[in-house]
Amino acid sequence: MERDTRLSRRQVLGTLAAGSTAGLAGCSGLLGGGGGGGDGTEGTNGSGNVEIPALSAFRGSGALVEGRSAPGGTSIEELPNLSGSLNLYIGGGEGGIYYEFVEMLQEIYPEFQVFASSASSSSLAQTVVEEVEAGAPQADVFWSIDASSLGFVADNDAYEPLPDEVVEPVPSGFRGEDNAWVGVAGRARSIPYNTEQLSEGDVPNKVREIPNTDALRGTMGWAPTYGAFKSFVTAMRLLRGEDAAREWLVSMREAGTEQYPNEFVISSQVADGALTAGFANHYYALRVKNSRPDAPLGLAFTENDAGALVNVAGALRIEGTEKGELVNNFVRHLLSSEAQEFFTTVSFAYPMISGVAPPGDLPTVDQLNPPNIDLSELSDLEPTLELMREADVLG
Amino acid sequence: MRVREWVTSFGSRVTADEATSIGTGLTLLAAAVSATLVLPLGWLVVDVFTLGSRAIDLTVAPTTMRVLVRTVALVAVVTGASVVVGVPLAVLTVQAKLPLQRFWTVVIALPLAIPSYLGAFAAVSAFGPRGALTNALAPLGVPKLPTVYGFVGAAVVLTLYTYPYVFLTTRASLLSLDASLVEAARTLNAGRWEAFKRITLPQITPGITAGALLVALYTLSDFGTPNIMRVEVFTQFIYARYNAFMRDYAALLSLQLFAVTAVILAIESRIGIDESGAYESRGNRGATTLDLGRWRYPATLLPAGIGAVAILLPIGIFGMWFLRTGPGYATGSMSFSWSYGWNSVYVSLLAAGGAILVALPIALRSAVSESVVATVADRAPYVGYATPGIVLAIALVSFSLDVVPALYKTIPLLVFAYVVRFMPQAIGPIRTSRMQVDRGLVEAARTLGRSRLAAFRSITLPLVLPGIATGAALVFLTTMKELPATLILRPLRFDTLVTYIWRVQEAGLYGQAAVPALVLVVVSGLSMAVILAQEGGRKSDQ
Repeated sequence: MERDTRLSRRQVLGTLAAGSTAGLAGCSGLLGGGGGGGDGTEGTNGSGNVEIPALSAFRGSGALVEGRSAPGGTSIEELPNLSGSLNLYIGGGEGGIYYEFVEMLQEIYPEFQVFASSASSSSLAQTVVEEVEAGAPQADVFWSIDASSLGFVADNDAYEPLPDEVVEPVPSGFRGEDNAWVGVAGRARSIPYNTEQLSEGDVPNKVREIPNTDALRGTMGWAPTYGAFKSFVTAMRLLRGEDAAREWLVSMREAGTEQYPNEFVISSQVADGALTAGFANHYYALRVKNSRPDAPLGLAFTENDAGALVNVAGALRIEGTEKGELVNNFVRHLLSSEAQEFFTTVSFAYPMISGVAPPGDLPTVDQLNPPNIDLSELSDLEPTLELMREADVLG
Repeated sequence: MRVREWVTSFGSRVTADEATSIGTGLTLLAAAVSATLVLPLGWLVVDVFTLGSRAIDLTVAPTTMRVLVRTVALVAVVTGASVVVGVPLAVLTVQAKLPLQRFWTVVIALPLAIPSYLGAFAAVSAFGPRGALTNALAPLGVPKLPTVYGFVGAAVVLTLYTYPYVFLTTRASLLSLDASLVEAARTLNAGRWEAFKRITLPQITPGITAGALLVALYTLSDFGTPNIMRVEVFTQFIYARYNAFMRDYAALLSLQLFAVTAVILAIESRIGIDESGAYESRGNRGATTLDLGRWRYPATLLPAGIGAVAILLPIGIFGMWFLRTGPGYATGSMSFSWSYGWNSVYVSLLAAGGAILVALPIALRSAVSESVVATVADRAPYVGYATPGIVLAIALVSFSLDVVPALYKTIPLLVFAYVVRFMPQAIGPIRTSRMQVDRGLVEAARTLGRSRLAAFRSITLPLVLPGIATGAALVFLTTMKELPATLILRPLRFDTLVTYIWRVQEAGLYGQAAVPALVLVVVSGLSMAVILAQEGGRKSDQ
């Protein structure tokens, strides 16, 4: 009963927000434009007929995207139609790009409406837990840009497990225990390097060797305030212990590693030759490459250590939602071949299903040699912040 | 002087009894309002209890102490520097005839319209390693600029974007200053400096302190600037813990931040305590008393220089972002919509209106009362102002979920947060203008048979109206700039200019941030026009 009154309030609120953001509808109209004409295919299942745009509408553009083969996996056409309204918490930053796909879904399904709220993933995770504890969950789905936030919600029992058939296309390493969450896009740690100053062989295949590599001393950049960097240090701490992680940070700092506000800047600086190499998630370098195909920018990956961590953006069904079926169906859409092609070619994330090729000429996830680590454990950040502060690396 | 004192004391004698009865009602109202505002913050205390005995260890940890010392030092330096910059500029624009005086006044006030974190971004983009200016200077044989990062850089940026608080409040005091008193002092052979020290300074001190208090509390609660300038202060410390699933620890640190606020308020109340000199008669207000002669041309270098660094530099950097090629992918939800601008204006107007409604009784009461309750009611709201937006948002999230779920993530709660945060900015100007209302005038109206309300309407209200307009405009423009509370408390799919700027910046899409940043500056700049326009109105009153 109480739930009902809250929902109606939410609808009022939604109308209000929709009314005041009327301009948004105009923008999203642009998106469907690519395939909105005659090249769409009619979907036949569900309540009404819908037009699913051609694959090209889901693809990004630019040097790295041209000439890709058609993705495998389950197409949206094979999935039940989406209808009804869904409240979504979506992590900030990259989530802005992921959200474009949600807008496309709303274009495709006229009866499907999403009310989204965006903040940092960790902040949303804590909000989800608080709301569930207070018996007042506001959202049905949590789409986080990193696994630690998903792990935090899962550890606090604020989720409802996803059905096996929803998570099945994704390798088990990128799913939460008890199907608490499922990865929808991969984010690999990497070392962007300037190909005019180094060759791939100059970059060691272990992060621990980097401070002792003369070619890299004092010429690297990092962004310690960035969440992905902290996850990387957490992984190092879990794999090698606090002392080793602290010593590594100290030796990198003493080698003159320069601090940047984010990893896109680092990747650009490497492309410009201002830095020889850096620490960044893989897709930042691909963005630079996509707009500047001639940039002397290469990507190296370490092996079986924290430097090769593959974190994921993923979706979680929030405890207490009444839209369970719609959530499952929505997550299946995120794992469709169109969605995976979109994430791969627009945000240059690693696809989570086997039928879709990685962006650019990157190795596949299997070839990456990520460390053996439970991604949910990355939410244990307190000791990480402590050791970063001891190492005088401001996080 | 003697006559004025006599009139004032006569006035208060006549109304002593009446004042007590209205006074009590108003004081209780002010106290109730303040209590409501402070209440949600009490939820933080509840959060802290979950830490148990660890709370004490964490409080006295050496790292916490280091952050505390650094934070206090930053507040002290920025506040001091803002007074040093703001007061002379106010004197210059009010009392000296600068060429293009009106223009320079706007220029000097304008940095307030730019969020300091955008200023910090601009500073880093320009002066940072391989920044725009660093690159431009390199061929000229300047290999390396001194680092912009760190304590000094943060202090400079914060001063550049907060001194207008001191400038505006001091200016308001100067404009309503009775210049005939200064002239009287001068005819009595007091030197210019002597006259300034003995007549002007005491009368504008409440204005300066009001502005300095806003600067100190802004600095204490600002997160973006220290973060970008890599200075670890309390807010940054809290934010990192908040983002690391340690909300209770963040709550504990927030309480420590409140302790610092209390100290600042105590200091302010000691400085501002003697306000007897602030009661003014309507005289030859705001007259030009400072003749710079030929020096007035070089004197404009001061506002010009500040304008160039604080305004032109960030606008240039936004322009550069705009022109630079982006990372190269389609940007649907990341594309700018004018509705974000409208949303910003909409909530900011609501916040300004709400803040005035709440600030009015508190300010009117505290301007004329010295009772303990009135003092507390006057000070309590500043706790909200000193609360970092993110902390207030955390407190309001748990408060609304536990107590009034119907308000959770609604516009009313968001506006409530703004009112809690920014209302003190309205109290200051209203209070200052109220103090300068000549009690004798009100009493004259009363003896001429006007009712209390009619006297308020015909005498007090018109005189405090400029204060109200300034207060509303200040709240409006700080709300436009507010980031963390907006991010957390806004309703689903409700984006404003700053939340949009934040989103695109997080995604590394600086180019996308350029247009909204400029829109933000323009709209906020218009609210500055309100502040300065009402000053103009007051001048033409004479």
